[in-house]
Amino acid sequence: MIESFVTHTLNGLYYGFILFMIASGLTIIFGVLGVLNLAHGELYALGAFVTFTIVGYLTGLVASPTGPVSALVFAVVVLLGSLAAAAVLLPVGAIVESVFVRPIYERAEVYQLLLTYALLLIFIDVMKFGWGATPVDPGVYSTLNQVPTTELVGFGYPSYNVIVMVVGLAVFLWLVWFFDRSKTGRIVRATAINRDMATAIGVSTDRTFTLVFAMGAFFAGFGGAMVSIGPGTAFLEMGLDPLVLSFVVIVIGGLGSLKGAFVGALLVGVISRWAIWQYPPVELAAPFAVMLAILLVKPEGLFGTWGEIE
Amino acid sequence: MSRFPLVEDRDGQTVVRIPLTRGLGLTPLQTVFAFLGLVGLFALPFLAGLVGLSWERLFRGILFGLAAVGLNLLLRHTELVSFGHAAFFGGGAYGVAVLAAHYNVSEGLLLLLGAVIVGTTLAVVIGYFVAGYVDIYFALLTLAFNQVLFATVFRSGFFNYNDGLQVRIGGDRPTLFFLEWTTLGYDLVLYYTTIVLMLVMLLAMWKLINSPFGRALDAIGQDRTRARFIGIPVEKYVWLSFTISGLYGAFAGGVYALLRLHVQPEPTLYVFVSGEILFMAILGGFTTLVGPLIGGIILVYLLEAARFWVEYYHALTGLVLLAIVFFMPKGIVGSLPDFNAWVAGRVREPGRLQEDVRSATAAVREGVDRATTTVRIIVFGVK
Repeated sequence: MIESFVTHTLNGLYYGFILFMIASGLTIIFGVLGVLNLAHGELYALGAFVTFTIVGYLTGLVASPTGPVSALVFAVVVLLGSLAAAAVLLPVGAIVESVFVRPIYERAEVYQLLLTYALLLIFIDVMKFGWGATPVDPGVYSTLNQVPTTELVGFGYPSYNVIVMVVGLAVFLWLVWFFDRSKTGRIVRATAINRDMATAIGVSTDRTFTLVFAMGAFFAGFGGAMVSIGPGTAFLEMGLDPLVLSFVVIVIGGLGSLKGAFVGALLVGVISRWAIWQYPPVELAAPFAVMLAILLVKPEGLFGTWGEIE
Repeated sequence: MSRFPLVEDRDGQTVVRIPLTRGLGLTPLQTVFAFLGLVGLFALPFLAGLVGLSWERLFRGILFGLAAVGLNLLLRHTELVSFGHAAFFGGGAYGVAVLAAHYNVSEGLLLLLGAVIVGTTLAVVIGYFVAGYVDIYFALLTLAFNQVLFATVFRSGFFNYNDGLQVRIGGDRPTLFFLEWTTLGYDLVLYYTTIVLMLVMLLAMWKLINSPFGRALDAIGQDRTRARFIGIPVEKYVWLSFTISGLYGAFAGGVYALLRLHVQPEPTLYVFVSGEILFMAILGGFTTLVGPLIGGIILVYLLEAARFWVEYYHALTGLVLLAIVFFMPKGIVGSLPDFNAWVAGRVREPGRLQEDVRSATAAVREGVDRATTTVRIIVFGVK
């Protein structure tokens, strides 16, 4: 009983960290640019596909591990490959923002939705062109699990999940540091709070927006990379469900709030895994029911801030 | 009075009066289009095959388009973006399926009535909760309701999970007008019944948006506070228009179930179906009454049939939608008057055609320039 409770909670946290990586990009893009990016899920899928290529290439260069130490080296190689894959998303995001999204900031939001939906469709075919219509899998999951983690405290749990949780936590801490402490992060926040004033003191809002969109794409891609190196495969429509769940996450946390997205993601992850454990039929509906309750009772979300990152 | 029946002069413009309505008229050009459209609609089952289009798919396009007409009442007048209209479409479809599969109702028209009641009830309930919200919150709330419904149906044995329900009573098709039909006869009778009802619904919508109630909705869309000041009960009116809009979706969904005879959650209730219904309205032109209908036909065709023409059909649809966003923001039907004026202008002064070409090339060059500059800055920095 206790053991399965811990396992399901850990599963939920793992799922939550994946959701957080996707939703963090969505929420900072919404918080600063005011655009709800429907193509975000496909950026996540693109990250997964690029990871298949890069990690597949890199792991071909190293010998398959024999002991704990070489397994650790292998894991580091895989993580570096994932980072490189996510980095591919930086220029992709920047180009999408500067070419397609920039001309329509002033237009009604339905056009922003239509545009990002069009990009979603185009991205699906770009991936179909690049990797074909069949799912791909870099096949490093079982090797990653050879890294000793939970066995050290006498508890059996896949090391891959532990790695993802650590990575997710690192992403969260880095984002908090970036927006709280770094100069660029403060410039981004200033732009989000007041575009005109930011322009007046010499900030280029164009470049800030491009940076934010590229960052959002990066973290979506990194989330995709983390899924891709796991037991799942990368397939063309993989972005749709996480996109819809990311809406839930950022609504629960408060639109544009980073800490909110973090808490919301973990909440959604844990709730849905507990639902699978106790009463599977409500697993799909539970996150949306929570979203409804939040919207109706406290529309600004748990950490609600409108249009600024906190 | 004019030489032709129904033609009269109104404020210096020639207007063709619509029988059985008061005060509604079309310009001569609109009359020609409306007439062609009507003939096309009624001849569709026979014409479609001749030009190599699937009539059944066109029919489905019309149904989704009708749901988009309903959604457009909110989008165009109260300026609310609903991302959850599949709830009513799917609600109607499941209304038919549940009545047929679990309660053995065998008459198609009764099933349709049931569908409208189920879908509209859903709209009443959801509308009660969402009427006070605007902008992105309205969109996300409708999305959430939509997904709760989808998830419930998807995971519930009563609705047979994602396999969906058959609209068959003991293996038989429902009757229409209490008569048994052959496969072709069933589809034809269903089609013509739907078309007639749809025309009535379109006229009703036209009447509605030109009534004082429709004007009040416009006022609400422009500024809720001001609308409240002049005495419009804003929430109540939004709730009412949301319900009407849901009714259109429920009807369309009900006919969809009768046509397909099999209702599954993903093609009817999924949140991306909601998105498609929304984008149909914009694609066809949400500033017009029939635009969403045209948009529905085109988008369903693009999403379903384009795969037989090109391998990268998603990208094709995406490019069409991009073109709408950047070049035809009023949608296909909404851009017709502009296009007409342009053609008329060029016929009068053919010389200006050169000017157009020049300005178009200049615009494209400017766009490419801007994009390359930005990309260069991203890659190499400002210096």
